[in-house]
Amino acid sequence: MRGVTDRLRGTGLLLRFALRRDRVLVPVWVLLLTATVVASAAATGPLYATAGERVAAAEALNASPAIVALYGPILDTTSLGELSMTKMTVLYAVFVAFMSVVVVRRHTRVEEETGRAELVGATAVGADAPVAAALLEAALASLLVGTLAAVGNIACGLPAMGSVLFGASWAGIGHVGAGIAVLSAQLSSSARTVGFIASAVVGVLYVLRAIGDTSASWLSWLTPFGWGTQLSAWSEPRAWLLVGYPVLALVLTAAGLALRRRRDLGAGVLPDRPGPARGAPRLGDALALVWRQQRTGLAGWTVGIGAIGIAMGSIVPGIGDLLDTDRTRPIIEAMGGVGGLQDSLVFALASVVAVVITCFGIGAVTRAAGDEHDGRTETVLATATSRAAVLVAVASAALLGSTWLLLVSGAATAVGRGDGVGAVGAALVQAPAVWVVLAVALLLLSVRSRWAVAGWAVLAACVTLGQVGAGLELPDWVLGLSPFHHVPKYPAEAFAWTPELLMTALTALVLGVAWTRYRSRDIG
Amino acid sequence: MEVVSNAIEVHDLVKLFGRARALDGLELSVSAGEVHGFLGPNGAGKSTTIRVLLGLLRADGGTTTVFGLDPWRDATAIHRRLAYVPGDVSVWPNLSGGETIDLLLRMRDLDPRATRRDELLQRFEFDPTKKGRAYSKGNRQKVALVAAFAAPTDLLVLDEPTSGLDPLMEQVFNECLAERKAEGTTVLLSSHILSEVERLADRVTIIRRGRTVESGTLTELRHLRRNRVRAEVSGPLPDLTDLAGVHDVEVDGRVVSASVDPVGLPLLLKALDAAGVVSLTSAPPTLEELFLDAYRSTGG
Repeated sequence: MRGVTDRLRGTGLLLRFALRRDRVLVPVWVLLLTATVVASAAATGPLYATAGERVAAAEALNASPAIVALYGPILDTTSLGELSMTKMTVLYAVFVAFMSVVVVRRHTRVEEETGRAELVGATAVGADAPVAAALLEAALASLLVGTLAAVGNIACGLPAMGSVLFGASWAGIGHVGAGIAVLSAQLSSSARTVGFIASAVVGVLYVLRAIGDTSASWLSWLTPFGWGTQLSAWSEPRAWLLVGYPVLALVLTAAGLALRRRRDLGAGVLPDRPGPARGAPRLGDALALVWRQQRTGLAGWTVGIGAIGIAMGSIVPGIGDLLDTDRTRPIIEAMGGVGGLQDSLVFALASVVAVVITCFGIGAVTRAAGDEHDGRTETVLATATSRAAVLVAVASAALLGSTWLLLVSGAATAVGRGDGVGAVGAALVQAPAVWVVLAVALLLLSVRSRWAVAGWAVLAACVTLGQVGAGLELPDWVLGLSPFHHVPKYPAEAFAWTPELLMTALTALVLGVAWTRYRSRDIG
Repeated sequence: MEVVSNAIEVHDLVKLFGRARALDGLELSVSAGEVHGFLGPNGAGKSTTIRVLLGLLRADGGTTTVFGLDPWRDATAIHRRLAYVPGDVSVWPNLSGGETIDLLLRMRDLDPRATRRDELLQRFEFDPTKKGRAYSKGNRQKVALVAAFAAPTDLLVLDEPTSGLDPLMEQVFNECLAERKAEGTTVLLSSHILSEVERLADRVTIIRRGRTVESGTLTELRHLRRNRVRAEVSGPLPDLTDLAGVHDVEVDGRVVSASVDPVGLPLLLKALDAAGVVSLTSAPPTLEELFLDAYRSTGG
């Protein structure tokens, strides 16, 4: 017993310190998620006043494989709670899991990579205290977001029992996210790689559920993201399924801690391979440097986006047969027949994948901000490299990299679907909207490198507008603040040049302003 | 037409960070071919000055030229002729040390194979195959040092370059710097330790709180090389105050301490020997002591 208390000594102090460091990050994250729950719960009831309307709406959602793939099915079509929480049950649960991943990675592997863990470890703090504090913070944040979601739902008039179970599922997925993060954090000595591994695990679990919900239903039971739906919080709940979250979280955490005890501080389970003693002749300027930095990440993204594209594409051709029932036929007819249904599915998938791909671009921009913060940009600019070359390199990684991923996504969807250019086109029409968001992120970087991280907030705002804006019946100009709102719904609707060209011009304009700022500001 | 003979010319330089005046009328001039010590305590503005010289920061006032060019406007033209070693080197975590060195050389339009890179790797006992994130502070410093010393250049800008190096490696650094000096390279060497620049510097500029306190050759700044001597004697204390080159004499029982110029040292030692010296320490002045001196002499 004494050994355990020794190893945990100072946990409370480190927890308070961690909470202080995250005093903006975690509350903002929790409040954003709570706000989407409340907005959704408050908007859905008035929108579908009668039970008949609710059933019709739920059946329409269930009839769309794109929506089922994204949000999971609605098991009880009569339930107001389940309809209100369609998007929150699975898709937003991913953001809950990511909150834990960010918190745990930030206070474990990032601290080790920067050497701060060494500084803390040399004090009279127990060896397990830092990781315990990180896990505690993630647990507290998960419980908080779960509680607030439950309270918010009850306040909006949804059934108390269902609200609590739903909140519990969110708290549960938060714990699982922490478990995934603490296990991933042991694997590599690179915080970046750790983030990539944890995100990939979350992504795979989410996609497994998407495949399960649309074709092989047993798969949905194997992933914690499927449990949110199968819990059936709002009617005839399977409350026992809630046990799955803490059990999985404990198994992951125990495995992570066991690995942690077997390794040195700062080391990873996966060994660091030695690099070449000499640089390749091509690695000789800012552009080559940025692409070399992005190489591994972009390869991983290409494989991941390609796999998702093929999986999603393969759903498309089957939906005509899948949905050909007496009940759904009128809905399908209204959407333009089976062909029209397939086209709107292709558009819906492409618009979601575009948001995911934008994350790659913003990652490239924030990475440049990190280079500047750490002094590497200074080292580059003290050579014969111009500021223009540095900014062009970052912009090219963000803009061309994400455009390449859109192309991969479209091509993979086309391959999975087994035909046509429609999918490639559907992916590429998203490009101008993606560029606008990335240009704003580059502008933030160019004004002040510390501001680049706000690029994530810009993307989050665009997504939130798109997701809850229509439900809240916000005015069109507010919805139009998100560039994704202006993307033509190709191939479901005709392609339109005007918004695409305007967004491209806006991108150029914002980049121009960014350059004038970047050339005239202090570096560092 | 005025001939530009100074590699670096800084006059009345002002740099503001918000309301804080990081540089407040700084003066610095470095002639071509000299090794110039740039001294000041932590936070005095050494790195800020260097960043202005490199065109990374924009000056808020005064004039700054490097090779007669404006570093803000002509940064890349200037950078082709210099090599820079920052005080806290950060390397790319997923590039090997060798890759980083070659990258930095290529970014200065140099071909690594035509440089002395391999020889320097050996001299600095540096393993170029490790990934950036695995290097200690000293090893990260070596990445920048090897890249800087590998090829001839007109100007070396070194910002506390030996921080993190062990004494053996510091020795290698000093050899490399001496070779460069012999080749006629202009060097701006910043440090907060006087003895570090003493060996090689032709001239020294001392700054404090963003202002130049002293500037000149080491002979001109003779009082900078005044040592503080502290001795315990067994016999009666002689009167040291009249000795040439001995200043600030303090007596405390059998312990006497005094500041002494190099010329006064033999006289002082003779006097102490006569008094039956039991113990003796001699320490170079700290920068803070120098500043006190400088303030005293300028009445500031």
